[in-house]
Amino acid sequence: MQLVRDGEAGAFEVIFDRHAQRAFSLAYRMCGRRALAEDVVQEAFLSLWRSGARYDPARGSVRSWVLSVVHNRAIDAFRREAVKESRDVRDDRLVERTPSLLLTQTEVERRDDAQQVRSALGELPAEQQQVIELAYFGGFTHSQIAETLGLPAGTVKGRMRLGLTKMRLVLGERSGVML
Amino acid sequence: MSESNECRSDAAAYVLGSLEQGEAEAFRRHLASCVVCRDEVAAFQQAVDLLPMAAPQYPLPRGLRRRVLRELRAERRATPPDVGRRRPAPSLFGMEIRRPALVLGVLLFAALATVGALELASSGSSGVRIIQASVTGSAGHAELRLSGGRAELIVSRLPPPPLGHVYEVWLTHGRRPPSPTNVLFSVTSTGSGDVGVPGDLRGVSEILVTPEPIGGSRAPTHTPVIVARLA
Repeated sequence: MQLVRDGEAGAFEVIFDRHAQRAFSLAYRMCGRRALAEDVVQEAFLSLWRSGARYDPARGSVRSWVLSVVHNRAIDAFRREAVKESRDVRDDRLVERTPSLLLTQTEVERRDDAQQVRSALGELPAEQQQVIELAYFGGFTHSQIAETLGLPAGTVKGRMRLGLTKMRLVLGERSGVML
Repeated sequence: MSESNECRSDAAAYVLGSLEQGEAEAFRRHLASCVVCRDEVAAFQQAVDLLPMAAPQYPLPRGLRRRVLRELRAERRATPPDVGRRRPAPSLFGMEIRRPALVLGVLLFAALATVGALELASSGSSGVRIIQASVTGSAGHAELRLSGGRAELIVSRLPPPPLGHVYEVWLTHGRRPPSPTNVLFSVTSTGSGDVGVPGDLRGVSEILVTPEPIGGSRAPTHTPVIVARLA
C-alpha cells in the first residue's frame, strides 16, 4: 500500500488484480446491471488510486477498504440511476456455476469463501437475513425496511443486531474466513 | 445518548449503513463516549466486512482491467505522483502556498461559515490545478482538481446530505442560473467523497454543490454548501 500511496501504478495493478473480481461481484449484486456494475468498479478503483493516501491500516484490511468504497459507489450509482426496482441478478457467468477444473486456484478459494459466508448468512432465521440483505445490498435505511415490511423500526434494528451477532459466531467457528 | 440497551440497538444498523442520517450523526457522537458501543461496532464491523463475499461471484468482465489501467495511466501522465497526490498542505518548492480567498458573493454567504477559496497549485508543466472550494455550514473541506481536461471534486469531513437528499453538482456560467450535471453523490461515514465533474468547463465560472431530493433537481432548491470558483 505504501507504493500505491507513492503513486506506483504497478503496485496499484496488484491491488486491482487481487480485489477486482470481488469488487465487481459486489457491484453487480447491488446494481443488477453489468454495465452499471462495471462503471461502479471503474469509478471506485480510480477513486482509490487518487485517494491511496487515505488508507489507514489501523481501520481494516485493504480488501475491506476497497469493498467499502465499491459499496458506497454502488449506492450512489443506484440513487442516480433509480434501478432499485430491477436489481434481480441472473447471469450464467456465475463463478459458482463454473466447474472447478475451469477455475484458477484463486477463483476456487474465492468461491469457497463466498460459499462459507453465504452459508453463514443462510443459517440465520429468514427474517434476520432479510433485513441484513435489504440494508447492506439494497442500501435501504431501517425506516424504509420497517415501512416495507410493516414492522416497528425497533424490531428491524433488533433483527439486524441478532443477525450480525449470530453471523460473527458462525464465521468465527470456521477458520479461514475471518481474515 | 446515554449508555444503555437502547444505544446498543443502533450499533448493528449503524455498521450496516442503515441508520437515518440524523441518527447516524448522533450515534457517531455517542461513540466518542461509549466504550460498549465502540466494542459492539468493532465486532459487527468484522461481520459486515465479510458480507461482500456473500455476493455471487462473477468473473471480471473482459476489458474492464484494461479500461481501468488505461484511465490510470492517462491520469498519471497528466498528474505526476508527487504533484497529483493530495497532501495536507500543498506546497511548491517546499513552501506552503496560500493566497487570500477571492470574496465570494458576500451578501449571499456572509451568514455562513465560509472557508475561503484558495488556489493552491497551478498548472505549470504538469497541467494540474487544485482549487480550494468554499464550504458553508460545516467544517468540511472541498477541493477541485483539474488535470488533463478532467475535473474532480474531492470532499472530506462533509456531513451527509439531509434525509431523503443527495448532493448534486451544478455548473454556473457567469450570471446565468446554474445548470445541473448528472452527478449526484453522498459521502462516506467519515464525510469523504470524490466525484468527476462532467462536461466542458470552458466558460464555467463556478462549480456548486447543493443538497437535492434523491434523483436530483433541474434547478437548485437549496443554498450551495460548496462553491468552487474557476474564473
